[in-house]
Amino acid sequence: MDGIESEQVVAADAQASGGGGAGSRTPLLELRKMSKQFGPVQALSEIDLKVYPGEVTAVVGDNGAGKSVTLKTISGIHPPDGGEILWQGKPVHIRTPKDASALGIETVYQDLALCGNLDVVQNMFLGRERTRNHLLDENSMESAAAATLSSLSVTTLRSVRQSVASLSGGQRQAVAVAKAVMWNSKLVIMDEPTAALGVAQTAMVLELTRRLASRGLGVIFVSHNFNDVFEVADQIAVLYLGRLVASLPAKGLDRQVVVDYVTSGASSRNGSQLAHADGA
Amino acid sequence: MDVAPQTSRLEIPGAGPAIPGSSGAELAHLDFEDERVAALQEQRLAQRRRFIERLQGEGLLLVFGLVFAVMWASSRYFLTVANLLTAASVVSILGIMAVLETLIVIVGEIDISIGSVMAATSVMIGLLVTSGVDVWLAAVIGLAFAGAVGAVNGIITVYFKINSLVTTLGTYSIFLGIAYVVSNTMTVNIGGEGFGKLGSGTILSVPVPVFFFVAIWATVFFVARFTVLGRHIYATGDSYEAALRAGIQADRLRVGLFVAIGLSAGVAGILVTSELGSAAPQIGDPYLLSVVTAVILGGASLRGGRGTMFGTLVAVAILGVLQNGFALLQFSSFLENTVIGCLLIFAVLTDRLVRRAER
Ligand SMILES: Nc1ncnc2c1ncn2[C@@H]1O[C@H](COP(=O)(O)OP(=O)(O)OP(=O)(O)O)[C@@H](O)[C@H]1O
Ligand SMILES: [Mg+2]
Repeated sequence: MDGIESEQVVAADAQASGGGGAGSRTPLLELRKMSKQFGPVQALSEIDLKVYPGEVTAVVGDNGAGKSVTLKTISGIHPPDGGEILWQGKPVHIRTPKDASALGIETVYQDLALCGNLDVVQNMFLGRERTRNHLLDENSMESAAAATLSSLSVTTLRSVRQSVASLSGGQRQAVAVAKAVMWNSKLVIMDEPTAALGVAQTAMVLELTRRLASRGLGVIFVSHNFNDVFEVADQIAVLYLGRLVASLPAKGLDRQVVVDYVTSGASSRNGSQLAHADGA
Repeated sequence: MDVAPQTSRLEIPGAGPAIPGSSGAELAHLDFEDERVAALQEQRLAQRRRFIERLQGEGLLLVFGLVFAVMWASSRYFLTVANLLTAASVVSILGIMAVLETLIVIVGEIDISIGSVMAATSVMIGLLVTSGVDVWLAAVIGLAFAGAVGAVNGIITVYFKINSLVTTLGTYSIFLGIAYVVSNTMTVNIGGEGFGKLGSGTILSVPVPVFFFVAIWATVFFVARFTVLGRHIYATGDSYEAALRAGIQADRLRVGLFVAIGLSAGVAGILVTSELGSAAPQIGDPYLLSVVTAVILGGASLRGGRGTMFGTLVAVAILGVLQNGFALLQFSSFLENTVIGCLLIFAVLTDRLVRRAER
């Protein structure tokens, strides 16, 4: 799966760094000039993005800006048709969801990828069931699922044998996140994890998100809600019409600057923190 | 394909309905309220679900008991070992296909071509035998043909993304037409001592087709309940997208199931041909409706993701008793169609109610 391409790593590095004290560390994931086209629609053009371990990188942008497509290229659903992906500094090709999970990339999808007719355990192990003598090993899966849930302090579930259809939105999100971290994952991608949730459940999911970062995982967090974004993010990347127009450290950042980038692709407000603003 | 949508869904802090309060105390309070309401709702849902599950499980057994009792009261021949074994033998043909149809319905598809695949298999065996091929070899070729038709159904449905109802309605018509034309609507006699035993022989006085049905039912029950394959069938039926994202080869899985149900129709065709001692294009006619009826009556949902082998077993038994009773009472077979049609509508309505209760 690793394409051995000897690219000059230094050149691209020098060009796009400078923000948020992330200078010398190797990013967990780096996108370089990544592009994706759907027929006539240029969904992504030359995206440059770095995601560091132990940090939450928020990706924001208006509807159709390309957030979901970006995530899907990383998770192998829509392989990119231009640019490259570096994983822990090495170029890789992610062509299928299996490639992504082999690297340690797990995704919590916007439209939750859970099966309502299966219970919590069955969902957490879906596609990676444990077997014993070729039969499903329910006991071992159940205890592993319960252990993961409790390590994330998810306590609102009545039973891990409850069907997912009977869970609340927040509980489902928690199950989806637990499913994502169960596989020794290094990067967890979350697409609008709080979109359909009430206040308390949103708070729970945000807390869960921070907990992932403090465990040393890299997190990519997509949301339309700036309260959520500023509460969890270490870095904020802004997409505008398929281009990455800004990548800024969240600390001390003026929300209005982000709003400017999201709505117009540029900001005239004190641009001191600008890391990246091509052409626009 | 709008590249730049005009409407913005941004929630800019300060504008619009802000989140009420963000102090710890207030959050904790909301947390409590939220959880309480959610818990209440959940409890109510769980109650309803339990009721519906009982309706589907015990209710079905109740229907079986009722039908059984009515038949017992109506005919003194009904409750005899010989008659019940005959009934079991007859309904086994339907049962073999209903088992695989259950899997197809669970995975979110449907196959209504089985009756004509049966007929075409039978006619093919007849043709081969009249042209001098050994009857067993002919049966194997017929079975392979049935599997191939299943593969065609699966490939068209899955890779060309055609609704399986339409695909299999098409192949139903195609192969039924071919069966009638090729056979010239004639019945071909098929000899062969051993071959006849397949459909009309007995082991320990139990008809051989019953063994076929029981073996197939038990195998599929086991696969559906205890294996990764079974788990993936349920998952794919509930959410194809979720299955794909979980790395399940959902397309290959669906094509495989179409091949399996094709094979089951082939087996049914062979058994009936053997039992009648002749190949005929009409043999599949009764199964178009009754197999699907058995599956839906058994609680499998046409929307996929739901269904049990146990439910299908009870539904098959209900249809078996009904068919047998109608024969004993010498009712018209047309009336049987009417009753099966009513059962189908009843089953679909129940499914609808179940779904509504779950929302
Ligand atoms: N599978 C696809 N086929 C064709 N076009 C697509 C596909 N997926 C996305 N697009 C297009 O790519 C662009 C970016 O879409 P994307 O889903 O990434 O937006 P988004 O930023 O996630 O928006 P939202 O906030 O509404 O979720 C849109 O113009 C969309 O129409
Ligand atoms: Mg999106």
